[in-house]
Amino acid sequence: MVGLSLGEKHFIQGGIDQNIRSDGRKRDTYRPISVETGVIPQANGSARIRIGATEVIASVKAELGRPDALQPDQGKVAIFVDCSPVAEPMFEGRGGEELSTELSVVLQHCLLGGKSGAGAGIDLSSLIVAEGKICWDLYIDGLVISSDGNLLDALGAAIKAALSNTGIPRVQVAAGALGDEQPEVDISDEEFLQFDTSGVPVIVTLTKVGRHYIVDATSEEESQMSSAVSVSINRKGHICGLSKRGSAGLDPSVISDMISVARHISEQLINKLDSEISAAEAGEDEM
Amino acid sequence: MASKGAAPSTYTPTPTKKTRPPIFSDSDVDWLRPDGRGFHQCRPAFFRTGAVNSAAGSAYAEFGNTKVIVSVFGPRESKKAMMYSDVGRLNCNVSYTTFATPVRGQGSDNKEFSSMLHKALEGAIMLETFPKTTVDVFALVLESGGSDLPVVISCASLALADAGIMMYDLVAGVSVSCLGRNLIIDPILEEETFQDGSLIITCMPSRYEVTQLTISGEWSTAKLNEAMELCLDACSKLAKIMRSCLKEAASASQD
Repeated sequence: MVGLSLGEKHFIQGGIDQNIRSDGRKRDTYRPISVETGVIPQANGSARIRIGATEVIASVKAELGRPDALQPDQGKVAIFVDCSPVAEPMFEGRGGEELSTELSVVLQHCLLGGKSGAGAGIDLSSLIVAEGKICWDLYIDGLVISSDGNLLDALGAAIKAALSNTGIPRVQVAAGALGDEQPEVDISDEEFLQFDTSGVPVIVTLTKVGRHYIVDATSEEESQMSSAVSVSINRKGHICGLSKRGSAGLDPSVISDMISVARHISEQLINKLDSEISAAEAGEDEM
Repeated sequence: MASKGAAPSTYTPTPTKKTRPPIFSDSDVDWLRPDGRGFHQCRPAFFRTGAVNSAAGSAYAEFGNTKVIVSVFGPRESKKAMMYSDVGRLNCNVSYTTFATPVRGQGSDNKEFSSMLHKALEGAIMLETFPKTTVDVFALVLESGGSDLPVVISCASLALADAGIMMYDLVAGVSVSCLGRNLIIDPILEEETFQDGSLIITCMPSRYEVTQLTISGEWSTAKLNEAMELCLDACSKLAKIMRSCLKEAASASQD
């Protein structure tokens, strides 16, 4: 919870009206983004993202499992988000649960596509080892360490970075397993397969304060919002998911406008993230 | 229950003039919807208020096989542990009966529905008219036949109106599924299982305001606009059906 005086509220709103926000940014500029990959050695892939004072970690763990009977040619991906009380005392006990579920559900919608698996940012069929028998289960965990607004964009970016950092061990399947028998597998600990992350979308949240909308809102600005729309967009410019927060209703034409603004911003964000991720990977290799 | 009273009415949207000609006309498509509807045809909608006697307001809705019941309690005093609030609180809960789904107990997968119902309704309710108190909205899905959330939301707004909670407008919810190149409105359970993408809009038609919008799957702009137009048109028609249900109930109680 952010406690603001009336004067501070007016200051924030007035600044947004005049396109110069409290920290000197314009309405459509992000805070500096820094990416660090490979922060958790025990995971198959991990990344830490800092956007201003917001800090999140994403980790990807891969385990061998059995594919769903309904979709024998696809692996499985599960996404969870944890809001640690380290970030805010409000998250203690069950306090962060509601926010955690909300964030997890939105991220699942954005990254996993429709029920049939179409439009998913992660190619589920690449996770299959032996059709109908063995597949990789990816567990993607997001952790909020420090929260200063715009958690969803940060988590989306962290998951993208963590996935591009992910190496999945090459698996040799022993031939000769008959019928329902589970074949024997040999997991290589030297050869790793890189994960294709070109289809993973980014999430852009536009927060509406007064008549204008801003990107990358701080928690102070978020406390003044009337509504916020989070759009996830991939490199092709297609929308992969959308969700709305905040109580105020929006005119349909405003939503269309927000989507086109988000698409424009996403291009810059994808390029910025990609260069940051490759810089982080290069830095990691040198060490 | 649907057999007596007024005949169920549909809220199928009228085709907009702007839409480009479909790639396949309905007759050319080699598959039909399982229940024989056209792609842009909705199931008959049936509403009845006053389903639960002990509640301040309640409503029952039946869209094909989707059957939900919503009761509203309050406004009543907020729990002691809650902090003082000069606007009212809204507490929403959506639950499934264990027999609602084809596989027993599967309905508990939809944990996010409660918060989505809350988000869809909070923008429509004049919370400042009941400070320090809480309104509870409990929804129970008796049978899950597809498009559960939009039906729950529409039914809940009717139950709120029945309870006399002040609202800016009724909230109507409609969903569209994307299957291949086709958009189908008001999908049933089988269609939802195989959908490539879905879009749920809840809106207040008289104010022409969207209170909640959720999209999953990959959408191009043209398709998105088409789906939104379709939904908004259906929403305004659905709201008319809901309004006539309220009027019916009111005139029946006067007689």
